[in-house]
Parts: sequence; structure tokens; C-alpha cells
Amino acid sequence: MTDQAIITARGVTRRFGGLVALDDVDLDVPKGIVQAIIGPNGSGKTTLLNALSGASHADAGSIRIDGKEIFRLRPNRIARLGLARTFQNIRVFSNLTVLENVKVAAACNTPMSMLNIMLSNGTQRQREAEIESTSREALEIVSLAARADDRPTQLPYAQQRLLEIARALASKPKVLLLDEPAAGMNMTESMTLLDTIAKLKGKGITILLVEHNVRLVMGISDRVAVLDFGKKIAEGAPSAVQQNPLVIEAYLGRRHRHA
Amino acid sequence: MTVKHWFPLALGVVVALLIPAVTHDNYVIQLLNIAILNAIVVLGLNFATGWVGQINFGQAAFYGLGAYTTGIAAKAGLPWITTPFLSVVIVMAASLVLGLPTLRLRTYYLAMTTIGFGEIVRLIIVHWEPVTGGTSGLRAIPGIGVFGIGPQGQVQHYYLLIAVLAIAALVAARIRQSSLGRAMIATKDSEIAAEQSGVDTTRTKLIAFMIGAVYAGLAGCLYASSIRFISPDSFSGTQAILLMTMLIVGGMGSIPGCIIGAVGLTILPEALRFLGQWYLVLYGLGVIAVIVLAPGGLASLASRLPRWAGAR
Repeated sequence: MTDQAIITARGVTRRFGGLVALDDVDLDVPKGIVQAIIGPNGSGKTTLLNALSGASHADAGSIRIDGKEIFRLRPNRIARLGLARTFQNIRVFSNLTVLENVKVAAACNTPMSMLNIMLSNGTQRQREAEIESTSREALEIVSLAARADDRPTQLPYAQQRLLEIARALASKPKVLLLDEPAAGMNMTESMTLLDTIAKLKGKGITILLVEHNVRLVMGISDRVAVLDFGKKIAEGAPSAVQQNPLVIEAYLGRRHRHA
Repeated sequence: MTVKHWFPLALGVVVALLIPAVTHDNYVIQLLNIAILNAIVVLGLNFATGWVGQINFGQAAFYGLGAYTTGIAAKAGLPWITTPFLSVVIVMAASLVLGLPTLRLRTYYLAMTTIGFGEIVRLIIVHWEPVTGGTSGLRAIPGIGVFGIGPQGQVQHYYLLIAVLAIAALVAARIRQSSLGRAMIATKDSEIAAEQSGVDTTRTKLIAFMIGAVYAGLAGCLYASSIRFISPDSFSGTQAILLMTMLIVGGMGSIPGCIIGAVGLTILPEALRFLGQWYLVLYGLGVIAVIVLAPGGLASLASRLPRWAGAR
């Protein structure tokens, strides 16, 4: 199992003062699947994502991506090892065009030399051409190619989320972390998003999805892990997790009562 | 590049080249020479401040370091050709030492550190009298010359400096069009998103800061050997704030904006001289007007122009 796992997390713990946001979480994500992480508000979903991507390091534990230990590495190193992500609160580069946004990530594994840039020589133009074609491909996948020269702030909200996905794709990741990608989307937009996720899975990219919208998650995911108060309380196929009494109590049950 | 892009550029180049044919006033040309040097320094400031978004009040100090390195070296009898290299080495070393520990921190720390750095440099210049000439500065600095060939008179210096400014702007434009330039702006817009896209933001900040210092160092070298007189006043904290004002008024992040801001704010005090004491009032009002009416700087007005023209 561990040989096929692309993410292997062991004992991941994160404390904020007295609050234990993540408590000894283990996670194995097999290659090529769509893995969802669900849980009530404040259960530690985004904290786990931040720990995996290096945005906010865990205090203890071990995290391996494709066999390489990434615990406490800087986010840019983790990105170059093949882990890309999107953000719950959209973080596009508003002073760059849509295409340039994607190019930032596409350049992730391209060497850069001051001398080449100043001379604008063949090597430099070749590199820029490669970055450009990678970026246009990524925009093509999320159907944003026509907006390449616009500013991201000119795009509707849902398309800004797709732009973040395109940016993440441009770094050619093995693992893609999506932090509440459907937040603020209407039904049609969510459907487009699901199609995109299916497309990415078809390309062999492992997807780790943090989502609030449980119904959305159940349809698309191969496996679901449930967090509650920083602990993983269940994991398995969506149908099995839905039946799990612990999950119903922690999450679905509570929702039913409120509804 | 469309007509919209190259027309203003071509116009600017033609005007710049024709100015010495229109005026033979050495005072005007010398003022323009200082304006061009300031433009190079502001182009440098734009990397760290306009693109990466770090507030840097150390740019005048790098300008001064470059100028004094060249002034001292040339007066000591070193051939002119060595001075740009010496100036660049000194400012690179200084920016590395200053940047490495501070650039990990966020915005205001760099602002404070660079103010301190500027003050240290100024105090060294003022107090190390035997070498720097103290408050009276260095006079009769040997001019630009390679194997005895160099520009003679203000007009020839003007053309040389215009050429250097053109190269400085071209290099800046190339950086902007490269992954380095995009990484700089990405770092400003969202540091965490840039990191997660594989950008080493610490390194990007340091590179931007150092390139900016090199621009200032080279401009300082040319200042010392073309104006041939330097004093601490030209590189004080006031000058640092003035350089920042030029960047803001011209347009943060815009290469033409840097040039417009630097040239405009260098010439304006002289143009308003007839007002005597009142010039500062008008000058201040002008700066405030630009910041309020065109927050993107004067360069942002250019992009609005087609709309006005179209409306009529």
C-alpha cells in the first residue's frame, strides 16, 4: 500500500497555542485517485492542507510526497517536488495577466539566468516559448484560453477559481490540492468544476480535495477521510463513510438536526 | 508591440535626441543629465518597490555609494574603466549584506532598515573627511574616458547618458517579460500563492533589491564622473524620499512611469524657481494632485488617453 501511496503522512500534529488543530493525523493517498477530506467547520481540513503544502508547517510528524520527505520544507521546494494547490480565498496575481498568472507556475522547473534574460538570447527565448505553451495548455484545460490577456480581476469569481487550478496545473504536479474549489459557485459552475476534476484524474494527477459541500464530494471521490476536532475519525469509500455512525454523529448527524 | 506601444516610445526617443539641437543652454542640459541619472536610479528602485512591493529608502545611499566609490577611485588615479566595476561590486556587497537578513521580514522592517542604512552611509561620508571630503564633498573628479576617448562637454554627456538610460530601460523591460519579472510581481500580489507556485520569494526579493542597487551604483558612478562634483547632500535621506516620490508620481511598476516621474520631478523645482519660496507649495500640491487624481501615477494617464480621444 505504502509503495503506491503518493502522499504518506504520519502523526501530523499542529497546535495553535492551546488548541490542537491537527492531532496525530495519518493519511495515505494512493496514486491517481480523487481523495476528499471532509469535516465540520474548524475540524482541521485547511490546516492539514497547509501542512501538506508547507504554507503553515506542522509541529510534528512526517509527510512524504512520492517517497520524498517534505516535512518543514519551504512551499516553493514542495511545489517543485510536484505538489500544487489552490486556495480557499482566491489568491490570483492581480497585477499580471491571466496568462502570466499561469506562467509564474509554469516556470517552476525552468532554470533562470540573469545573463540570458539581459541578452534575450536563443536559450532565453526557447525557455519562454516552452513556458508559454505549457501555460496555454493549462488554460485550455479549464477553458480560459480566450481570456489569456485579461486581468484575473476581470474574470467572474468561478473562473478565478479555475484560473487557480490552471496555475496549479502549469507546474505539472503529481498531486493537486484543491481547497474548497466549489465555494461560491452555482450549480452549473460546480458541474463544470467536477468535469475538470474528472479530466485531471484522467491525466493521472492525484487530487486531494477539501470540501464543505458533502454531496459534491461524494459523487467525485474515490476515498473520503473525515476530520473532526483535528482527528481523523473515519476513512474509506464514500458510501462506507456515509454509513459510519461516528461520521453521522460528528458531521452529517449535526447537519440533520439543524436542518 | 502594437502602434499604441511603439508610438510614444519613438516619440520619446526623437524628442530626447532633438533637445540639444533646440537648446544650447548648458544649464538646461546639465539639469537634464541629472534627470536622466535620477531616472536610472528610479528604474532600479522600481524592481524592489514597484514590482516586489517592498518599501526601500536605501536607494539614495546606493546611489551615493556608487558615486563615492568612483569619485575616490578616480581621484586616486585608477583608470576610469575600472570605476563602474568597483561601484557595482561595492553596492552589490552592501545590498547583499543589508538584504540577506532583512528581506525575510515583511514590508515595514525593510523600510526601517533601509532608512538606517541610508543614515549610516551618509554619516560615513560626512565624517570620513580625509577620504570623502566630508560635507564639502569631492571636487574635480576625473571625467569619463577610455584610452583617452570620452565625452566632451554637456551635450556629449547628455547623449551618453541617454544611451545608458535606454539600455537600463531595455534590461528592465526584458526582466519584466521574463520569469524573473513575473515572479517579482507575483511575490507582491500574493507571497504565499507565489511560493506555492514554485517561486522562491526570498530569493526573488533579494535579486530585485540587488538589481536595484546595481542600477543606483552605476548611476552614481556616472554622476561622479560626468557632473565631476559630489557631496553628501545629493545622496541624503531627503533624496531617498524624493526618489520614492518620483516612482509614485510617475507610476509604480511602469518603466515609462519611472522615467516620466524622475525627469518631471527633477525639472519641476527648477521650472518653478521664479516662485521663490512658494515653489514648494505648488510642488507639494502637484504631487498630491497626481496621487489623488491618478493613483496609478502619470503613466496610468496614458492608458486613459485613448478613451478620451475616442469619446470626442
